[in-house]
Amino acid sequence: MSQRRLIMIAAAAAATLAFSQIACAEEAAAPAAADSAALYERQCGICHDAGGFGTVMLERRVGAERSVLAQRNDLPPAYVRHVVRNGLRDMPPLTRVELPDADLEAIAQYLQRARQ
Amino acid sequence: MSQRQTPPGVSAAALERAFAAFTRVVGEQWALRSEEDRRTYEDLYAFDAVDQHIPSGAVAPGDVEQVRALVRLANEHRIPLWPISRGKNLGYGGAAPRMAGTVVLDLGRMNRILDVNEKFGYCIVEPGVGFYDLFDHLQRERIQLWMSAPGQTWGSVVGNALDRGNGAPLGEHAERICGLEVVLPDGDLVRTGMGAMSNSDTWAAFKHGYGPSWDFAFTQSNFGVVTKMGLWLMPAPEASLSLRMKLPRAEDAGWAIDALRPLRLQGVISQPAGIGNYLRDAAVRSQRQQWHQGEGAMPDAEVQRMIDTLGIGWWSVRMRFFGPEQVNAAKARVVRDAFAKRTRIEFEEQVWRSGEPLAASGAAIPSVSGLRLANWMGGQGAHSTFSPVLPADGALATAHLARVRARFSEHGFDYYGGFTLGERALIFTSGIIFNRDDAAMKARARALFAALIEDAAAAGYGEYRTHLSFMDRVAQSFDFNEGALRRLNEKVKNALDPRGIIAPGKQGIWPRAYPETRR
Repeated sequence: MSQRRLIMIAAAAAATLAFSQIACAEEAAAPAAADSAALYERQCGICHDAGGFGTVMLERRVGAERSVLAQRNDLPPAYVRHVVRNGLRDMPPLTRVELPDADLEAIAQYLQRARQ
Repeated sequence: MSQRQTPPGVSAAALERAFAAFTRVVGEQWALRSEEDRRTYEDLYAFDAVDQHIPSGAVAPGDVEQVRALVRLANEHRIPLWPISRGKNLGYGGAAPRMAGTVVLDLGRMNRILDVNEKFGYCIVEPGVGFYDLFDHLQRERIQLWMSAPGQTWGSVVGNALDRGNGAPLGEHAERICGLEVVLPDGDLVRTGMGAMSNSDTWAAFKHGYGPSWDFAFTQSNFGVVTKMGLWLMPAPEASLSLRMKLPRAEDAGWAIDALRPLRLQGVISQPAGIGNYLRDAAVRSQRQQWHQGEGAMPDAEVQRMIDTLGIGWWSVRMRFFGPEQVNAAKARVVRDAFAKRTRIEFEEQVWRSGEPLAASGAAIPSVSGLRLANWMGGQGAHSTFSPVLPADGALATAHLARVRARFSEHGFDYYGGFTLGERALIFTSGIIFNRDDAAMKARARALFAALIEDAAAAGYGEYRTHLSFMDRVAQSFDFNEGALRRLNEKVKNALDPRGIIAPGKQGIWPRAYPETRR
């Protein structure tokens, strides 16, 4: 996990989480499939981790319990692919330069694994 | 699904031939032509129909030689290109081109951090390097330098500086540019400043080189494609000190500006100081419907209730000092003394020391959480910013503030804005937040923007940067000698780029090849 992620998690957590929960957040972001987890963190985490813009928007729309994507269990790969390329409400679409197809596939599979 | 847009005067068959040639340079994977691909480059926050700025496709070179090859082919096939770095210029047009049908030249794959020189405090980066990338690199390598970044840091380090964006801690990022590598519209490759010497070690250390200084000619410009940039970073400080004061009344901005100006001019405050209104705090923490349900701008009584509930000021004055702790403390004392002559309100002070959590330091830690302001009105949020430059004078600023607030009310929007104080001038920022699902509101937002341009121009205040939809109108407001600056820009444009292939229309600079497109 990058220094930036640690700092951001710490900053987000400072207002709402106890110290022990920070440790949990770090552990949750380091699964066995390290490459796709890192890819998810790099490309999606900036908005979709706790405290992120996407998380706040989702919290307003679908509730806090479904607002952190990596903790969801209802995100099939085809849906993830569609949202990433077409955007959804406040989320802009991502180009194939910013997120190449192979990386998108890895992220979609990573979110699928999170479900299993 | 819309019909594919081609550039003016280019047939579908000619565009196909050009894309076939582009594809031979970059490969199939990086020639992006599907409807879905094109839509990923549209302006999410468009004031007009998005198809007014929709590209016919995109090509993504992997290195400077591919950029040169693509530029030469664009000349041969007479296809306009719109270079983007990462395409995150949200609120100013995003990745979308000024002219529909233009092919986006997406430099996002060119994302190498080529050099970070800790000793001399600079980096040399390619356009695809994001603020996140640079921040992570500095942290990972434990380099004792800090970058500066805007509030929304999804974008490119190079792209933001070229657009003359502002940020913290350093203010105007273009001022930190030191040396560019540029592909010219004929495919030639030039390095500016000391980089024009093939064996110089001071490309990113000394700005102007010998002879005319070109770096600024490639900012907010369509004279070439920047492929490398030297950018000055700041030494990681041993401490920082933040001062923040909440001011209760709209009219307090005038005296605060007058108090800050001499401190900026003397260098007591060496970074831009900000004065932001209540909505800059409220819009990232709440939505309008929590405070007010009706149409039109929020009534003053509702605004006051919101201010009181959130514990914010009508204005918030913010500044931060970086460096040795005792120097920061001395500067803060001078500022407090200057304000004490005008108000009994005290600054809230926060000191950070090296080694403490960076989150409280004032360092640019990448985040896009500020984007939530776009959701103020609900629906699918959008925003843009109107930012004319005024003398740093309290009376002038408050007089213009009255005009701006009246325009916001007249068009049914809540006033969102503030001032960023430079040493002699200030940038007067007004944010227009709208729901892009609401066609009537979007039309009102466009009308408000147009009115703000007219009012500012009438007072002699020109905008420093603007959205695609208003580039021509803002260019027209720079009207000395019947638009002599535009004539100069277009003489240079036509000399460098006779076929007008690089970013036609950017900043209102139209090449001879597209005379009918200005509006």
